[in-house]
Amino acid sequence: MQDAPIVQLEKVSKIYQQGQVEVKAVDNFDLTVRAGEFSVLCGPSGSGKTTILNLIGALDAPSSGRVWLEGQNLAELNRGRLSRLRRDRIGFVFQSYNLIPVLTAFENAEFVLSLQNVPAAERRKRVMAVLREVGMADYVDRRPDELSGGQQQRIAIARAVVSEPAIVLADEPTANVDSEAADTILDLMTMLNREKGVTFLFSTHDQRVMDRARRLIRLRDGRLEADENQDR
Amino acid sequence: MQLLHLALKNVLRSRHRTWVTIAAMAFAGCIMIFYASLLQGWLRSMERNAVDMETGELQIHAPGFRQDPDLYNVIVDAKSVIKQASAAGFICAGRLLGSGLAAADENSTGVSIRGIDPAADDLVTRLHDHVQAGRWLSQKENNGVVIGSKLATILAVRPGSELVLVGQAADGSMANDLYTVRGVLKSVSQEVDRGGLFMTAAAFRAFFVLPAGVHEIVLRRTLRSEPLTVATARLRALFPDLEVKNWRQLQPTLARLLDLSNVSLIILLLITYAAVGMLTLNAMLMGVFERIPEFGVMKALGFSGSRLFGLIVLETVAQVAIGATLALVTGVPLSLYFSVHPLDFSFLLRGSSTIAGIAFEPQWYCEVTRYSVILPVLFLFGAALTAIIYPAVKAAMIRPVAAIHHR
Repeated sequence: MQDAPIVQLEKVSKIYQQGQVEVKAVDNFDLTVRAGEFSVLCGPSGSGKTTILNLIGALDAPSSGRVWLEGQNLAELNRGRLSRLRRDRIGFVFQSYNLIPVLTAFENAEFVLSLQNVPAAERRKRVMAVLREVGMADYVDRRPDELSGGQQQRIAIARAVVSEPAIVLADEPTANVDSEAADTILDLMTMLNREKGVTFLFSTHDQRVMDRARRLIRLRDGRLEADENQDR
Repeated sequence: MQLLHLALKNVLRSRHRTWVTIAAMAFAGCIMIFYASLLQGWLRSMERNAVDMETGELQIHAPGFRQDPDLYNVIVDAKSVIKQASAAGFICAGRLLGSGLAAADENSTGVSIRGIDPAADDLVTRLHDHVQAGRWLSQKENNGVVIGSKLATILAVRPGSELVLVGQAADGSMANDLYTVRGVLKSVSQEVDRGGLFMTAAAFRAFFVLPAGVHEIVLRRTLRSEPLTVATARLRALFPDLEVKNWRQLQPTLARLLDLSNVSLIILLLITYAAVGMLTLNAMLMGVFERIPEFGVMKALGFSGSRLFGLIVLETVAQVAIGATLALVTGVPLSLYFSVHPLDFSFLLRGSSTIAGIAFEPQWYCEVTRYSVILPVLFLFGAALTAIIYPAVKAAMIRPVAAIHHR
């Protein structure tokens, strides 16, 4: 039996106004992502990868069409419920890591659990477990500016997965790190997917990420060009 | 609690940003406290010069004397009035008032002659320590007079010079005598500067042949906290047959001028506050706007708009609390120092001078009061919290996707 869909996009379009010009970033796009997938949205710059992640992550709203997350139509949720949905069900990994600069590695990883009011003792246990998995247990007291790009991205991954979200959306996670760090990050994500069943949806044009993907969703000019399952 | 924790981490760990903002606030607060104390001191000195110098806080006259200052219209039982007023909590001094013509060499001019008891008057007014040259009156030297600064110029006299005084005595005879200028006053008021001539009460009585009574009793409250209107009413009830007026009634124009000065100084203070408030505002706006991408990430992770608003406000309160403490720690001692060591503007203004009838000293003292300390601190809190509302609302409302990519 197939897993229930976590994400469904139905005839989604997103149009941006740039001065007098309308730019169609996403055009009549359909997509279904199921639990446990390790999928990649790929395509050239401007093909709509990041926009689709933003729409799925409830960071932006479509111009037309519908986005469902675990059966909830995002258009029907108000700001507060969208905020809670992002907190509880979605993990984000950004291209520029986007850790909170004044917080330590531990506090950054703990941030979402704090928002969820998880008791301190349980928070500590869960955060330390994840930091050990991403290999950052020895850096808990370091602030982002004391960490390398690869280390920051590992903390960002820990922050994204520690609350056990339904899906982790990773926007170009290897774009700002060297190839060694990129391999480490990809190993880590692959391990989390295989061993913990974390669902990942990436946007990338990095071939190394595409090579690891089990599903490759190719985009061009905001449209679906190909949807390929790769045997891994 | 969690929000406060996060706010404190943001404030204490963003050292550069925090200290720039706090330093701006502390500097603004310190300047505001000092400036408010200086203006408070300046206003108080204006009032003191207007009141303590010559008029006193209250005066008692025989009925009708103020409308028609007749030499014969005296308070007959002056000793009894002074005794009763003293018992009621006032410090009193009797005065004799007359007019005449003063001449020295080729110069002459009309003068307003005041006979005073130096020992008693010194307790009520401050004329005795407002002598520019020479010395103040002495009971021992009855032919010595002290004159106003412009009168000295008109008559071309200085301490040690002689002048002749001519007048109409109470017995109808022509009074005239030779006096020595004992001292010249600093600027007191236009009236005193141009025509004020002070002599001892004994000398006045001898010159005008007026053996008893006084024309005016000048009073000061021993208890300064008692409102002037209450003290006036109390004194009026005590002497229903005499004319009792406080300085605001005696010099209504001066009172209005001081009130107006008060208002205009408050406006000036507010303008200064607004200027330094802009300094704070700018530092705070920069502090928030440079963090927009960070706020975007927080919102993306599920931090709600209202919590973000609360976080920014709490951070601001924490910063203002530190800034205000530093402002107090620096501004109050600075003002206290200048309350003892005045700012000296003698290089701009030689000696004291008169503006709109009020004497000005070139030395400005600060006066540290509750208002000069509390108001700037409250203003600092008010300005900072008002200033932060706009960026805080903007941050709370911003779409995460726009904020994350904000440059």
